[in-house]
Amino acid sequence: MTEKAADGSEKKPRCRIDRRQFVQTIVSLGIVGTVVSFMSLLMSLLPNTGAGEEEGEVDNVLKYGPEKGTWYSDRPGTEVKLEDFDQIGKGAGVLWRKRIPAIVMRVDESKLRDATATNGLIAFAAACTHLCCISTWRLDRPNEDILWCRCHDGAFDPYNIVKDVMPNGTEYLGAKVIAGPPPRAAPIIPIEIKDGKVAGVAKDLGLYDYCG
Amino acid sequence: MKKLYEWFDGRFNISPLIAEAQRSVNFALPSTITRQNRSKIFWLGYPYYYAGSIVAFLAILQGITGLLLAFHYVPSAVGDPGTPTQAYTSVQNIMKFIPLGALIRGIHQWGANLLVAALAIHAFWAFFRSPYRVGREISWLLGAVSLGLALAYSFSGYLLPWDQLGYWAATISVQIMRSIPALGDLIAQILLGGTSLSAATLARMYFYHVSLLPVVALVLVGAHIVLVVLQGVSEPEEVWKTEKTGQKPGQGQAGPLFGPFIPHQIIPVLILSLITLGIVLLLGAYAVQMPGDPANKFLTPQFIAPEWYFLWAYGLLKWVGWLYEIAHFVPPAMVFGVDLLSAKVVGILVAATMFLVLVLMPVIDRGDEVRVLRRPLKTTIGVWAIGLLSTLTLYALNEILSSILSIPIGTMNVVLGSIVIVAPLAAAVPVYALLRRHAAKATTQEA
Repeated sequence: MTEKAADGSEKKPRCRIDRRQFVQTIVSLGIVGTVVSFMSLLMSLLPNTGAGEEEGEVDNVLKYGPEKGTWYSDRPGTEVKLEDFDQIGKGAGVLWRKRIPAIVMRVDESKLRDATATNGLIAFAAACTHLCCISTWRLDRPNEDILWCRCHDGAFDPYNIVKDVMPNGTEYLGAKVIAGPPPRAAPIIPIEIKDGKVAGVAKDLGLYDYCG
Repeated sequence: MKKLYEWFDGRFNISPLIAEAQRSVNFALPSTITRQNRSKIFWLGYPYYYAGSIVAFLAILQGITGLLLAFHYVPSAVGDPGTPTQAYTSVQNIMKFIPLGALIRGIHQWGANLLVAALAIHAFWAFFRSPYRVGREISWLLGAVSLGLALAYSFSGYLLPWDQLGYWAATISVQIMRSIPALGDLIAQILLGGTSLSAATLARMYFYHVSLLPVVALVLVGAHIVLVVLQGVSEPEEVWKTEKTGQKPGQGQAGPLFGPFIPHQIIPVLILSLITLGIVLLLGAYAVQMPGDPANKFLTPQFIAPEWYFLWAYGLLKWVGWLYEIAHFVPPAMVFGVDLLSAKVVGILVAATMFLVLVLMPVIDRGDEVRVLRRPLKTTIGVWAIGLLSTLTLYALNEILSSILSIPIGTMNVVLGSIVIVAPLAAAVPVYALLRRHAAKATTQEA
């Protein structure tokens, strides 16, 4: 639209877009919008968090783990009983709630510092706080009272219980790091004895999720 | 044949393209070896110079064998930990029942190892020869990225059989990735579909290995090779000895120094490719590695180690930890909100810095001199880096060595740890002294 000036000549309007510019603008905006909105499809690359199995009533009784060449290697998946741990220093790699690897062992209660054992037993999460390999008890180092990780020589002292902090700020008790690269103590798993079976106490389950 | 060509040319007008391709291929490459050093038994001394062509040959071989394996492999890791998944059984199937399956997998396995080896030689050769100086920065960049690509290939491929070794090697890598400050978890979730390995991870790895990486590799490596053809090979040092020709190096022009790719260059390429093929076939037929036990996320196997070309990184991690231990240094849990000084983050930072330096070489290292013996500092750094990588590799084997030699692990660590510090320096210092003298002498002679 043009306006006639007083002298009759055509005056340029202040803001005029011709058809070419209009099309260019609209198409560029459309392209940018499409690209941006398609970028949001990348959200689909994030893992599906909802698809995991619902944790309803899960059996808290510990089950023996799959390690070969151990005293419990004939019974993987069966329930852990108190009577199996008949002497100090006997321990086993176990599984708690089908997904949390742990180590349970009989300890000399008089040597235990700053923690109490349950009927002489104590349990720790077995995933190494360094890079998540599974720690073992006396398997590779039969004469040492340590939880030991094969991957990078991390060692934890089950008799020396200390307070530590997870990256997300949760405080917890665990076996102190005495050698190697692990940054944090191995968390204690509180246990109870039910009908002679050893079961974990399911509180603060989020504490054991540090390996993803 | 001619008729067929004419039929094609009539429709698609390809003859100008072919003429252009012939022209660049025939004139772009230096024929120093054929003209100046005709008497040399060149293919004894030049495998280094042709390492790139071995990489290309092996890449094609990997493509063919990989394609054949893909017909039988099933990328599914659904199943209870410790039981054979479909991925695992399908690899067993290939090894036991598919006609020639074991040979094909053997070639693929050894081809991958030799490819990385050839690529390492190619990369170090290029590092010493400074080819990026004369307008080949983009080739260098593409090459450096391709190096990362090869490692991504092998990382994803190693996991596919879903056996204990692959599973735990990948677990450690994933956890290291997670410790990248601030972004670690997000990267792990996007790349691997979670912060720990699962069936979703295998699906993604398989997609990368057979679909995404091949496309990226074709584009990047293709561009790398096209650039070599367009710009010419950065010629070997012998060119400098014949200064009478008065030509500037690396300009790719036709002249007495340059000869046709066919037949002069193609012959050593073919000879080396056939030798490589022979080696791969022998190793693939007689030394193929069966997958270990099925992956079990609740059981870390006795000895775990990454593949040999990642051992230096594994060793670096262990070595930093050992240094901390003997220095009685406990890294602070948090620096700026991340565990910046923990051995694993230090390891990541060192490795990332090394890669960054490699990528940025064209920017860091400027000037005209490319002769290896006239670059004391750079050559020394290269020698030191090779020394460091090999001694760190040795350090990664500390447990295995200590059990073989029955030396206590503590003593072994002290011995190997000191070697990591001393040996690279012991190699680098004399090299530097010698080269300084050589360079000074050469300069006075020229003056």
